Amino acid sequence: MVRMVGKKKSLIRLGSMLLITALMASGCGSNSPAKTEDKPVKVGIIDTYTGGAAVYASDSLDGFKLAVKELADKGGPKIEFVTRDDEFKPDKSTSWAKELVMREQVDFLAGTTNSAGSLAVSQYAKESKVPFIVWGGMSEKITGEAGHRYVFSTLPNTAIIGKAGAVQLSKSSYKKVWLAGSDYEYGHSLINNLWSNLTTLKPDVQKMDESWWRVGETDFTPYINAIRSAKPDVLVVGTGGADMVAFMKAVKATELNKEIPVWAHTSYDPSTLRPLGDQAPEGVMGTNPYLYNYPDTPENKAFAEAFKKEYNREPAAFALYGYMGGKFLGEAIAKAGSTDKEKIIDAMEGLTIDTPVGKATLRKEDHQVAIPMSYGVVANVNGVFTGSDLHTLNSEEIMPSVDQILKARSK
Amino acid sequence: MDFATLASQFFIGLSRGMIFFIVSAGLTLIFGVLRITNFAHGALYMLGAFMAYSVSTLFGQGPYGFWLALLVAPIAVMFISLVIERGLLRFIYNRDHLIQMLLTYSLVLIAGDLVKIIWGTEYKSMHIPEALRGSFNLWGASLPWYNAFLLVVGPVVALGLWFFLSKTNLGKICRATATDREMVDVLGINSTKVFAMVFALGGWLAGLGGALIAPTTTISMGMDASIIIYAFLIVVVGGLGNIWGALISSIIMGVGEAFGILFIPGVAIIIPYIIAGVLLILRPSGLLKSAW
Amino acid sequence: MSTNNLKLIENPKGKFNTYLGLGIAAVGIIVLLLAPGFLTQYYVYLLATVFTTALLATSLNLVLGYGGLLHLHHGVFFGVGAYTVAIVTTKTSWPFAVAVLLAPLVAALIALVIGWFCVRLRGLYFGMLTLALGQLVWAIVYRWNALTNGDNGIHAIPVPEFLTSINSVYYATLLILVISLIILYIITKSPFGLMLLATRDNPVRSESVGVNVKRHRLTAFVIAGFFAGIAGVLFVLVERSVAPSLLFWSESAEVLIMCLMGGLTVFMGPMLGAGILVLLSMVVGLYTEYWLLVLGLLLLLLVLFLPQGILGYLMEIYNKSQDKRGGN
Repeated sequence: MVRMVGKKKSLIRLGSMLLITALMASGCGSNSPAKTEDKPVKVGIIDTYTGGAAVYASDSLDGFKLAVKELADKGGPKIEFVTRDDEFKPDKSTSWAKELVMREQVDFLAGTTNSAGSLAVSQYAKESKVPFIVWGGMSEKITGEAGHRYVFSTLPNTAIIGKAGAVQLSKSSYKKVWLAGSDYEYGHSLINNLWSNLTTLKPDVQKMDESWWRVGETDFTPYINAIRSAKPDVLVVGTGGADMVAFMKAVKATELNKEIPVWAHTSYDPSTLRPLGDQAPEGVMGTNPYLYNYPDTPENKAFAEAFKKEYNREPAAFALYGYMGGKFLGEAIAKAGSTDKEKIIDAMEGLTIDTPVGKATLRKEDHQVAIPMSYGVVANVNGVFTGSDLHTLNSEEIMPSVDQILKARSK
Repeated sequence: MDFATLASQFFIGLSRGMIFFIVSAGLTLIFGVLRITNFAHGALYMLGAFMAYSVSTLFGQGPYGFWLALLVAPIAVMFISLVIERGLLRFIYNRDHLIQMLLTYSLVLIAGDLVKIIWGTEYKSMHIPEALRGSFNLWGASLPWYNAFLLVVGPVVALGLWFFLSKTNLGKICRATATDREMVDVLGINSTKVFAMVFALGGWLAGLGGALIAPTTTISMGMDASIIIYAFLIVVVGGLGNIWGALISSIIMGVGEAFGILFIPGVAIIIPYIIAGVLLILRPSGLLKSAW
Repeated sequence: MSTNNLKLIENPKGKFNTYLGLGIAAVGIIVLLLAPGFLTQYYVYLLATVFTTALLATSLNLVLGYGGLLHLHHGVFFGVGAYTVAIVTTKTSWPFAVAVLLAPLVAALIALVIGWFCVRLRGLYFGMLTLALGQLVWAIVYRWNALTNGDNGIHAIPVPEFLTSINSVYYATLLILVISLIILYIITKSPFGLMLLATRDNPVRSESVGVNVKRHRLTAFVIAGFFAGIAGVLFVLVERSVAPSLLFWSESAEVLIMCLMGGLTVFMGPMLGAGILVLLSMVVGLYTEYWLLVLGLLLLLLVLFLPQGILGYLMEIYNKSQDKRGGN
């Protein structure tokens, strides 16, 4: 071979690299599984199985699996599924959504704990016309202003939770309110909804100030000390995930609950109270979408027992959401009598099914599930901390009105 | 704003700074002596918290569980650190910073998934020991006993480090290595041993930080990512490798955050970055002289 | 005593055939141009993702490999570029082209500000400061709800009609990637690029012969930020949504891994690393939720046994064989 001038050598590298890239690309090959009519409906689940939020994804996945199993046992529609881990990164969520739709050729998408991920996947669901069942993301925007034909939500979102909290607090005499929460979408959205509903229900409330802490805050004492010194009538908190337990610990350690009433969503949820053991702060008010022992109905008992038998633990709220996602899908397929996506969507719109918490409906207009919610306080009942003084708020009381949704969407 | 609130907020911030100090002291020590940016420091802190949970659970979260955990967990993390240093780090001491950094980063990725495999995804929690529960009155405001406990532990650790670094032979070698590694090598001192020991000590401090924070918080995957950013900011602001710089900047960070929370509670999330940004613009190479 | 700068790039010694190089490049480009014809849609999309990431990694390498600067938070400029497009298209009525042109400029501006502080420092200090200031930008994006929508991100970003199909996105990203690579390549071979290498290998001597080391480093930093901003534009074209996680430091760490995996010593190394990492994360993710564990182990092996990267290693072998041939 003739030896050439050295200064152009990098062109070879450039060229060979492009070639390698091209070869790698072609090496990926293509696969297109043949589709037949009686093929089971395939669901692609994108969720956060890695990192701090992984606990919700495993709960909802187990709930979904239980629903799929029950459907199969009853000879109902067959549902297959695959899972993908988005590591709580929205760009990974969409990337997997595209893989699931284009390569895996799933009929439905489901997931994902990260609200931003849910919104990103929802956008792709709309473009690709592959329906997406949200059982993880709680942002009100998902079925609110960013809602469309191809997205469904089987969990109460922040608009619903906020309204439920407002209803509960409107029954009290508190006037000066301090708002606080985790500094991310869930916290802000919950608190904003609660506040706007509360000012409507009880116009004499006034906001003192707001505190926002980072997600993953380990020490809440400085926040609590600052709030205590301002002496509000009530402290309203929207904090999620791991922060909830840490916050409750700090309330107990600072004995804030003896001075200032505290409201926090999921304050008496088992996932909050179990880690606290005998160190839970008494009297903290709250709302809760699901408890395995409330309401004390045969349906709920049956679900809790079936779940425990399968996975050796009590079902938490996200287990119910995944379970409902599977049930809605199964019953919609049965009702549609077809595995055609558009027909299943039509069947899902306005569908009412029996769930562990009673009748639940996927509202026709916004595809948002309507389930009741409980409210109560943390109390020590015979040495065990649990939710006490529980009441049920019907779904009609706490769902945002259809007009509100349509107004948000037309913006 | 009354005096009691300001005072109690100051002490709460100070106790917050103590945790920062214990964690970042280990990081800055490793910086100074080994010249390695240890991204895995947060993972070691997380391991400390999980180990503390396991130890205290073994004793049924009983009264001795916490104290035993406080003793055992940091030592367990120290041994893990020793294995990391002997098994991996020592092969890359003469490599580029980037290589060293990415090696420690690979441990972050591995540790994250290993924690999930070993402990599962559910949130873990351990109790504050009975003796340290509740709060006491401080000029009309109240301060939790546990924060007061941290206010004791922090200075004890700082004193211990001071004693070690300035009064013991090994400590003097550490400081010498941090200042001028070549000279120490020329003097014929076995720097390998020093490196192993310093890395283990750094790991112990990270584990101690994790064990100390465990009772006040939720022990979960991902707790490494949030502490490592704080620790890096503190170490950079204090002056890379300078333990006393880390102490000062930890206190500034802890107290500064506490007062930020008091006066601008709505945007508390950006306070550490603002503190670090301002200090770095004023003193781009750290508050105290960097160790090298 | 060596400086704290990277010493991974050695001066190449081998001799090469220009026409062969051009030929391979032409074949490669033709294959990539034809690729959508024989690939399924998903892989066309995946390749567009590879192109985006490849540009990001290559732009980082200008600072990291050629400048020898420990730049730990390059993802910030990528994110700023992407967010600029997202914000301009959703919050203003300016045309899409303005958003696209503005994105790299804003990214370069942020790079100028961050770089202005960082280039006074050396080695680890430089790295730590890029990390700290980068996280500050992340915190601002994360918290500034009114402008950025906070952690919800911005979705359904409108793009012109002709850029909606996967194939057109593919060709757009390919075109921009190739143009950017050519410019970056010319920069590395320009007097400026050679001077940058000199400041990396011997900053003290460079300074003493009258080279303004800091200014060279800052310029490289800003150029890298500019091209990362372009990569951000490509990201928006491909995904049409942005979220603050793009600016988080762990994203930047992945870009560093790409550079190392492909090899910092070779212009195309980071590109190869990006391709491998994107494809591998997808393939591994199909089978397990422990991708990060796999990535960690892979990185560990890489650091211990192949620190010069895959392409760096191949070039070493190639150079050796050329040396032998020259000796014969």
